[in-house]
Amino acid sequence: MRFMPGSRTARRATVALTAAAALAVAGCGGTGGEGGGDAAADGGNLTVWIMEGTNPDAGPFFEELSAAFQQRTGATLDVQFVQWASAHDRFVTAIAGGTTPDVAEIGTTWVGEFGDAGALVDLTPRVQDAGLTDGLVQGLEEAGRLEDGLYGMPWYAGVRSIVYRTDVFAELGLAPPTTWDELVAVGQRIKEARPDLLPLPIAGDNEFLVYPFLWGTGGEIATQNGDTWVSGVDSPQAREGIRFYADLALTHGFSTPAAATWRETDLRDSFTKGQSAMIMSGSWTPKAILEAAPDLEGKIGAFPIPGPDGGLAPSVLGGSLLSVFETTEDQELAWQLVEMMGTGEFASKWAAESSYFPGTEQLLQEAAQSPDPLVAPFARQMVDSGRSVPVTPLFGQIQGNKTIAAMMRSILTGEATVEQATTTAAAEMNQIFAGGA
Amino acid sequence: MTLRERTRPAGGAATPAPPARRRPGTGTSRPWLLLAPALLVMGGLLLYPMFRVLVLSLQDFGLRELVSGRTDWVGADNYAELLGDPALWTTVLPNTVGFAVVAVALTVVFGTLVALLLAQLSPLLRGLVTTAIMVAWAMPAVTGTYVWVFAFTPGDGIVVQALDALGLVDAATANPFSSRLAFFAVAALNVVHHGFPFVALTVLAGLLTVPQEITEAAIVDGANAWRRFWSVTFPMLRPVFAVVTVLSTIWDFKVFTQIYLMPGGDGVNRSVLTLGTWSYVESFAQNRYGLGAAIAVLLTALLLVVTVAYLRLLFREDEL
Repeated sequence: MRFMPGSRTARRATVALTAAAALAVAGCGGTGGEGGGDAAADGGNLTVWIMEGTNPDAGPFFEELSAAFQQRTGATLDVQFVQWASAHDRFVTAIAGGTTPDVAEIGTTWVGEFGDAGALVDLTPRVQDAGLTDGLVQGLEEAGRLEDGLYGMPWYAGVRSIVYRTDVFAELGLAPPTTWDELVAVGQRIKEARPDLLPLPIAGDNEFLVYPFLWGTGGEIATQNGDTWVSGVDSPQAREGIRFYADLALTHGFSTPAAATWRETDLRDSFTKGQSAMIMSGSWTPKAILEAAPDLEGKIGAFPIPGPDGGLAPSVLGGSLLSVFETTEDQELAWQLVEMMGTGEFASKWAAESSYFPGTEQLLQEAAQSPDPLVAPFARQMVDSGRSVPVTPLFGQIQGNKTIAAMMRSILTGEATVEQATTTAAAEMNQIFAGGA
Repeated sequence: MTLRERTRPAGGAATPAPPARRRPGTGTSRPWLLLAPALLVMGGLLLYPMFRVLVLSLQDFGLRELVSGRTDWVGADNYAELLGDPALWTTVLPNTVGFAVVAVALTVVFGTLVALLLAQLSPLLRGLVTTAIMVAWAMPAVTGTYVWVFAFTPGDGIVVQALDALGLVDAATANPFSSRLAFFAVAALNVVHHGFPFVALTVLAGLLTVPQEITEAAIVDGANAWRRFWSVTFPMLRPVFAVVTVLSTIWDFKVFTQIYLMPGGDGVNRSVLTLGTWSYVESFAQNRYGLGAAIAVLLTALLLVVTVAYLRLLFREDEL
């Protein structure tokens, strides 16, 4: 391009070009949503969306499942893997474009949202016919329930407990704590004797690790009052739990200021790097920890998050449900697949391969008998004190807004006191509850 | 060259009249015919979505509306909520404007300095340096952001360690992502690093068209380098600077990836929200597409105002 300073036409052309380029450039940058797969179940074919990464090697499982399903019903499966990170967007665009799959694995916090939007089939009558009504893991069933309908069949679940270094505990003669006072004492002992280790880092950018403490002192995230919900994070009980949790970092110095912006994965990184003695971690992580740090083999153990004065603190039950979409042509066929995946042989196989727990009571009880020291404590926490976050599509909005994580971050960075931060968070939650009612 | 000139009959000054064969009317329809493919593409991919966003911003549009196809017109409610939100005035708008101004200024100044350096180099060296800065440009924003976040990781990030060694910060307690200013400083480094090669190469292309004689004449007149830049180079390259500044402004105003992927940038740290991330959090994380669309319209309007104002400033009234 050659610019002629003296020529007016050249200038005008440049200005026009600039404006056009500006418009064009300003317009791009958004990524279009990918449409869903083949929605139609024509001629006995089901499209299934499965989240990627839960089971590190899911290929053989689905080959086996497809073969068994074809043998039983004659229908074929088209299994498509979806990334967790982009799954919400993909579901939403698929719902909008009518290209949803027939059956899909859906995260616990999304079932209410999609069910409320009218995209999912109510499975209540089918679950009843199959005699499963009382056999589902409660926390997961709650997540699938919206008013009187059940929009997801519990598939698998996990829970968070505390993973610790057995070698450090043995060296210092410590035993896993069973009360909050003991937890503090253990942390202090580690801090004194092993200054190279963080006793228990507290991640600011995570909501699920706050709830065991908020619930532990008798607080509630939110309570339902007839048709409306009210936030409970600013109640005295909730504040007491949140303050104890924050003080692990702020008063007792078990954490590092850097952790104020950490996510759950950062906790795991610090543990695999050998920088932490205890971390709060999911039941699905010990396998991954040992893969990332083989030298920790035989040096890690787990214990349930204790309650303030003994017992166990409630811990969030996270996992997935299997749902049937309204767009499916053959609901009966779709349900057969859901039943096959959610019960019996395939359900326990999936749970075992993915290091999660199955979604039916009977199978969960079997798994809880496991003598494995990296499974049993999690199973105890899940069976005895697994709990669901408030089941309303509005809570999905609050999670999207990252209200609780924002609250925790501001407390840990010292920007706000527990009182201020909980008041702000409660106001934000109540605004969303009020706006969506 | 403008379109009118292009469609004028070809030929030198000696050809006085258009060819007689031409039917009347083709003179006005032909440009449109030629423009049609581009207009169709622009219309389908750009103007229609823009129109949809405008329509959406006047509705209460959530997932339920998306599934059922119902529409719920709320007039200017979304705009009223948006403009009445104190967060917009105290956090989001100052963040967006402040960040864009600083990032654009740094990008253009640094890019120009690099261009001036490149113009001095021998072809071989110039090729080497150009290749090096092209790497920064070619790096996807996501990758680049992760590299910068990695370098600034509290505790053991290489930059934090280096600053600690210099005694400027304490690596054990410093967290560059927790305070608003430090957060945006890291974001600005990232954005400038990613954006300056475009400025440098565009300005370099312009510099190479400045006739050697003019510069030589200025040297003979005793003008120093500073004076030559402002009296010779800059006036001749004004259109180039207009392009790079306007484009940088647009990019830096609507910056999203670089902020969203930093710790706390996805809405957890409320004090670092920008119009881009706020719009995303409202629309996609909360399924409030109407409000998200209203924020996007506000951002577009703001960009148009800034662009027009800037072009007015750069070019005198009569040139437009």
